[in-house]
Amino acid sequence: MAAQPKRGGVHLPARRSASNSDPSILTKITSSAIVSRGKQAACDAAFVSKKLLRSTGKAAWIAGTTFLILFVPLIIEMDREQQFNELEIQQASLLGAPPTGPPHK
Amino acid sequence: MAGLVPPGTTAIPAEASKTAHTKAEEKTDYMNLPCPIPFEELQREALMSLKPETFEGLRFDFTKGLNQKFSLSHSVFMGPTEIPSQSAETIKIPTAHYEFGANFIDPNLMLIGRVLTDGRVNARVKWDLTDNLSVKANAQLTNEPHMSHGMVNFDYKGKDYRSQFQMGNGALFGASYIQSVTPHLSLAGEVFWAGQHRKSGLGYAARYETDKMVAAGQVASTGMVALSYVQKVSEKVSLASDFMYNYMTKDVTASVGYDYILRQCRLRGKIDSNGCTTAYLEERLNMGLNFILSAEIDHSKKDYKFGFGLTVG
Repeated sequence: MAAQPKRGGVHLPARRSASNSDPSILTKITSSAIVSRGKQAACDAAFVSKKLLRSTGKAAWIAGTTFLILFVPLIIEMDREQQFNELEIQQASLLGAPPTGPPHK
Repeated sequence: MAGLVPPGTTAIPAEASKTAHTKAEEKTDYMNLPCPIPFEELQREALMSLKPETFEGLRFDFTKGLNQKFSLSHSVFMGPTEIPSQSAETIKIPTAHYEFGANFIDPNLMLIGRVLTDGRVNARVKWDLTDNLSVKANAQLTNEPHMSHGMVNFDYKGKDYRSQFQMGNGALFGASYIQSVTPHLSLAGEVFWAGQHRKSGLGYAARYETDKMVAAGQVASTGMVALSYVQKVSEKVSLASDFMYNYMTKDVTASVGYDYILRQCRLRGKIDSNGCTTAYLEERLNMGLNFILSAEIDHSKKDYKFGFGLTVG
């Protein structure tokens, strides 16, 4: 068996031809219990993280669209109401104050 | 000390008279209770805040007053309508119709009629015979056989109670009675019998209202339990919540919503335990011109409905 270039991380298990009666050191390492357990753990981690990402995505979508429907119009309307109030106060101060000015003097 | 006593003696009688006055207010006069609201409007505040008329598509309403009492209305609707289907999938069919209506509104008599291009005719009559007795009728005629129905109600309003008797087609009879028990609390009962389906039922309801809140509950022998609570947080904002439980079909729904009544608009939003959120905005663009936006998102059924409309007059 040619010496395989060592690649970090998980890689596909080497295709095994007829059972070698004379296992090399590399095949011994790759078929040991620790490595196979490590591979299994990595698979599980990938599966769980994919699931987590998907459910976070779903939750974010639901929360985002619900916020958009329930609260964005509310914020817009409250802002307009505040602007309207400020305009009214301004108008009142522009039109309301002058008649009462002179009598005080 | 001598100087301190006179202000004390003048202060105490004023306070005593004030507490005596509030005590007189608190001591309720059970002979002069206010008249309760009609039975069908028991949960009116919660219904108005939590169940706005959301729609999907375009809606245009034009009301033209010809007279002080008489007005005509034209209404166009274009959009998908849902068809009840057996499967879980909702089937929507695009429909469009035009509705012509005439209203006659008098202090004692109200007549409303509507004709639609899909063949339906609606009529509503409300006639106040005397101060206490009033007759209401409504009818709907359709092209489809066995889908037309009509109903007549006779309402009698007493000093602190109201009673109602109703008759509908298909041998539907109902009676309800609501009584004010304290200035804030009123209790009601109703009975109905549906001949066509051979069903009869009994129901009880209670409503407690103060200046700031309204709490209402209704139980019926058809298995429905409905509780609602509306709190008026300020004069512009009110929050409402609603709980409905059917003990026959074990169906539970709870919803929470808000109702903002601002000067230029009215915004109602609600979220449900079925994963459904709705929002309804009525914005006053000009005098007599209202712009309506309606949104309903059902996350569990993945059904999204958005509508917009204009109301003139």
